[in-house]
Amino acid sequence: MKGRWLLFAMLAAVLVLAGCGGGTEKPAGEPAPQKVVTVGSKEFTEQLILAKVTQLVLEDAGFKVNDKCGLGGTMICRNALLNGGIDVYWEYTGTCLLVQLKHEKPITDPQECYRVVKEEDLQKNNLVWLGMAPFNNTYVLMMRKPDAERLGVKSLSDLAAYVNEHPNEVRFATDAEFFARPDGYPALEKLYGFKFPPDKVIKLDPGLVYKALSEKQVDVAMGFATDARIKALNLVSLEDDKQFFPVYNPAPVVRKPVMEKYPELADLLNPVAAKLTTEAMIALNYAVDVDHKTPDQAAREWLTAEGLTR
Amino acid sequence: MGFVDYILANPAEFLKLIRQHLVLVGVAGAFTIAIGLPLGVTLTRPRFQRVAESVVGVVNIGQSVPSLAVVGLAMGLLGLGFRPAAFALFLYGLLPVVRNTMTGILEVPAAVIEAARGMGMTAAQVLLRIELPLAMRVILAGIRVSLVVNVGTAALAFLIGGGGLGDLIFTGIALMDTPLVLAGAVPTAILAVVLDALMGLVERVAAPAV
Repeated sequence: MKGRWLLFAMLAAVLVLAGCGGGTEKPAGEPAPQKVVTVGSKEFTEQLILAKVTQLVLEDAGFKVNDKCGLGGTMICRNALLNGGIDVYWEYTGTCLLVQLKHEKPITDPQECYRVVKEEDLQKNNLVWLGMAPFNNTYVLMMRKPDAERLGVKSLSDLAAYVNEHPNEVRFATDAEFFARPDGYPALEKLYGFKFPPDKVIKLDPGLVYKALSEKQVDVAMGFATDARIKALNLVSLEDDKQFFPVYNPAPVVRKPVMEKYPELADLLNPVAAKLTTEAMIALNYAVDVDHKTPDQAAREWLTAEGLTR
Repeated sequence: MGFVDYILANPAEFLKLIRQHLVLVGVAGAFTIAIGLPLGVTLTRPRFQRVAESVVGVVNIGQSVPSLAVVGLAMGLLGLGFRPAAFALFLYGLLPVVRNTMTGILEVPAAVIEAARGMGMTAAQVLLRIELPLAMRVILAGIRVSLVVNVGTAALAFLIGGGGLGDLIFTGIALMDTPLVLAGAVPTAILAVVLDALMGLVERVAAPAV
């Protein structure tokens, strides 16, 4: 009998807690804040941090921010932005150029890529690109450091040669997006002239590729240049000696009507973007992925340290 | 009907994914039955009835933890690919089989069992000739639910490198390519419906309505 009461009590507690989750609304007496912006992001660590940084800076300036972080992927964010589901998210220049504006040729100069994307996106899609961050989060292919040293593989050309000599050996991990993107795997294997054996290509969640590689489930994996786990797990990124990968500098992209309503967004977010160097971004990613801070904590600490919020 | 075009344009790839999907569900299902059924029976024996609820509580974990988390945890134990995916599906499908086996057997009227004992049957005979046949409909219903639900859950196997139709679904989501999502999702739904109908047939043959 006692057991049953305990069970009821636990059930009730769970329901009460669940109820609390939804109750973030302000008490009725307070005046509703006027300035409202919806911030979105893709689903990986760096994007969650960038969205948090944006949110904190805007809240600091008196905005009310709707959090739509962690949307499924590039195209979902982009569509949400185009149809007004979100007002701003951080997109990478190379991704926009090749995937969204459907240019055939990648541009490897960061400034030039930014200029083209900014101009064309405003003209065609009514989207405003704010200042871009100096860090370049391009794709990389990674190996375990000891293996790369033992086999003498330093660049993607070395890898191509090795794969061609050992056609049935190398296991490769990638996420669904890189494997299918026109500027991703299909174009890479064409330029460098090699192919991983189809039955050795393992497709999986992008968050798991680093672990899969370091635990020797695969021998080569795709990753992101600013991901802290490359260093933390003793992996190495192979040099892109034929300059295949385009540049991917991120910048906040804002819907034009929102920009017209709140022109101060540029002054608020441009200084933030300017401080996001490669080192800063790796450190932020490290804080979340390796030191297990929340994106919110990491963003807060960085903004305070840089003096970007009060 | 763009997704049909996709399937027709890539028949080999599509068949490979269907095969991976079915093998995942099949292997996981075989283990679920091979372990879940004896476990369910054991837990109804008088000697084990006291621990039955605790054991079911443990089995419950496979169901109550979100399926995505089960898949992720399995990867921590078994690495990448087929084995952790099959293991996660096995865990996920265990509860309905164990629970229904227990319920089916415990619902056999005590008077019937009493009569069987009175006729001189041993415990094993009572189980095989009275309890299991009378519980068969409920047991099969549990297996049916387990298998059909796992056809859908197996789409998540993709996330830990297990392949299957989730490949098309997740690639389609990443590229916002609706036909590609449907090329994975519609066959998954059809597989579930067909498997459900087949299990219905098995039920009717193995446990005809009394």
